[in-house]
Amino acid sequence: MLQSSLWLLESELRSTLKVHLAEEAEGLLSAMVQGTQGLQLDATRINPRYRRAFSGYYFHIQLPNQVWRSRSLWDNTPDWPEALGLGAELIKGPQNQHLLTYRGSYRRAGQNIVITVAQDYTPILQSFQRIRLISFLLVGAALLILLVVQRYVMASALRPLELARRQILQLQRGQRQKLDPSVPDELQPLVEQINHLLDHTDITLKRSRNALGNLGHALKTPLAVLNTLIQHEELRQHPTLKASLSEQLKQIQQRVSLELNRARLATDVLPGSHFDCQSEIPALLKTLNMIHGTQLTLSWQAPQGCQLPRDREDMLELLGNLLDNACKWAKTQVHLEIQSTTLGYRLTVDDDGPGIAPEQRQQAMQRGARLDERPSGHGLGLDIVGDIISAWNGQWALEQSPLGGLRVRIELPTAYA
Amino acid sequence: MRLLLVEDQVELADEISAALKRNGYAVDWLTDGRDADYQGTSEPYDLIILDLGLPGKPGLEVLANWRSRGLNAPVLILTARSSWAERIEGLKAGADDYLTKPFHPEELLLRIQALLRRTKGLINQPLLEVGGLALDETRQICHCKNQEVELTAGEFRLLRYFMLHPDQLLSKSQLAEHLYDGETERDSNVIEVHINRLRSKLGRELIETRRGQGYRFTGKHP
Repeated sequence: MLQSSLWLLESELRSTLKVHLAEEAEGLLSAMVQGTQGLQLDATRINPRYRRAFSGYYFHIQLPNQVWRSRSLWDNTPDWPEALGLGAELIKGPQNQHLLTYRGSYRRAGQNIVITVAQDYTPILQSFQRIRLISFLLVGAALLILLVVQRYVMASALRPLELARRQILQLQRGQRQKLDPSVPDELQPLVEQINHLLDHTDITLKRSRNALGNLGHALKTPLAVLNTLIQHEELRQHPTLKASLSEQLKQIQQRVSLELNRARLATDVLPGSHFDCQSEIPALLKTLNMIHGTQLTLSWQAPQGCQLPRDREDMLELLGNLLDNACKWAKTQVHLEIQSTTLGYRLTVDDDGPGIAPEQRQQAMQRGARLDERPSGHGLGLDIVGDIISAWNGQWALEQSPLGGLRVRIELPTAYA
Repeated sequence: MRLLLVEDQVELADEISAALKRNGYAVDWLTDGRDADYQGTSEPYDLIILDLGLPGKPGLEVLANWRSRGLNAPVLILTARSSWAERIEGLKAGADDYLTKPFHPEELLLRIQALLRRTKGLINQPLLEVGGLALDETRQICHCKNQEVELTAGEFRLLRYFMLHPDQLLSKSQLAEHLYDGETERDSNVIEVHINRLRSKLGRELIETRRGQGYRFTGKHP
């Protein structure tokens, strides 16, 4: 656009200049007077600028037997054009000037006279160049501004989407339980559906946990009755019968506890689930202290504001079982540490108990192995621990603790593969 | 020691009460959460065993109500819900211990014994040792100067109560309230008889009489 308007302007300018140059040529023609030796130029009638060297105005008059050149040309001989009228192309003049030429053919005193006038076109070229440069700069600046404005407009138009994207990421990391419902109308149904699904999975999980709790209650209470019944006097007279009943009952109990506990696990991480260390761990340690007595020192350490993107109940089950096991063996202290690593999280549980010999560690981690041979409670704890860790794609290992006893080290990835 | 058992499963409650009674505890039994809510603080229980799946009112709510009304007695929760999240909730509501079903009766008895001692600030060891006496609660025998002294059920109950409240002035009615359940006819003469028998077996200075006020366990014996 710009280029074509410049071109139009230039052609307009050239046609004006053509008229002007034609007038100049006619002026020169009229300056020719009949002298003593035929035609000659009347210097007084020639514009003085044709006399000043390199003034930018030149002429070349060709008579049949002689040639007149303007003094302003000095000793330069430009490549005068052959065609009549305005020169199609600019020719090279003295001092790198670009000349616009006009060639006219006339008849005077019975002689053919060809007059060529030229004008320095360089200033015009330069100003065109300047205009072009300035307008390029202007256009460039305008484009730049336009680009910035467009970016801004795009960004502000897409901000709700970006916000939603960030919130979904937070949801995945467990830093948020719900998406913010104050979004533009276009996104409203999407956000509402996601929130609805979150609610739904949460409720379903709670309901199934509750149902499992009820089932457990229904199964375990009769088992508890049977447990007390086999202590009766009548059965004491039949020790083999009693022993075998007791053994079978124990197996049922273990199986029921294990399967019910396993069924409770959410295992797969639901978006929005999180475990807040600061609020959950102290209560857990207090519970353990109550169970195992206050002679044990339970300590913990985690990064400030640590939130693990895992289901709260699963996490409590994992830590509860590990710490419970550690408490059973510890002499005076148990320490829980949560660290953030490049790949995710590292959990370590240390105790100052007797530990496990390196060659027995692998065996202790196998399914069904019991680190705990005491009658009370949770020999099944480590099975559940293994289940939870493998459901989370984590790794775990038994090691020597700096406290002297056993260290259980767990590596959990941040996100799910 | 007088305990309240809140359990809606009749068979289990029967077995538990029988085991508790064999071990010298006076037991009151309730099945409904609403009754438990009221009676838990209206009677002076030394310990409460609370099942969580109760009709009438959820166990945790009952517990929270007791605590808000200032109940100090230790509460042991009995439940089939064994997840750690539920345990923490129970202990947050004010429970002192948590036993999951199914359990061995001995386990329950040991927990009760430990809880009673813990609330009295005593160390949990096999024998209850106060003054120069050591009481074996499972065998209901008293060790005194390297001698084993056999005790009747009534004497054992009384001695245990005295040993868990050493140097405290205990009135006859207070003793009766804590040694007998709500349905037993309370005869203060029986307590006097048991005190006299304990004195004759373990020494006169063991229990001091404060006329018109009650008795005090000194732990002294010749």
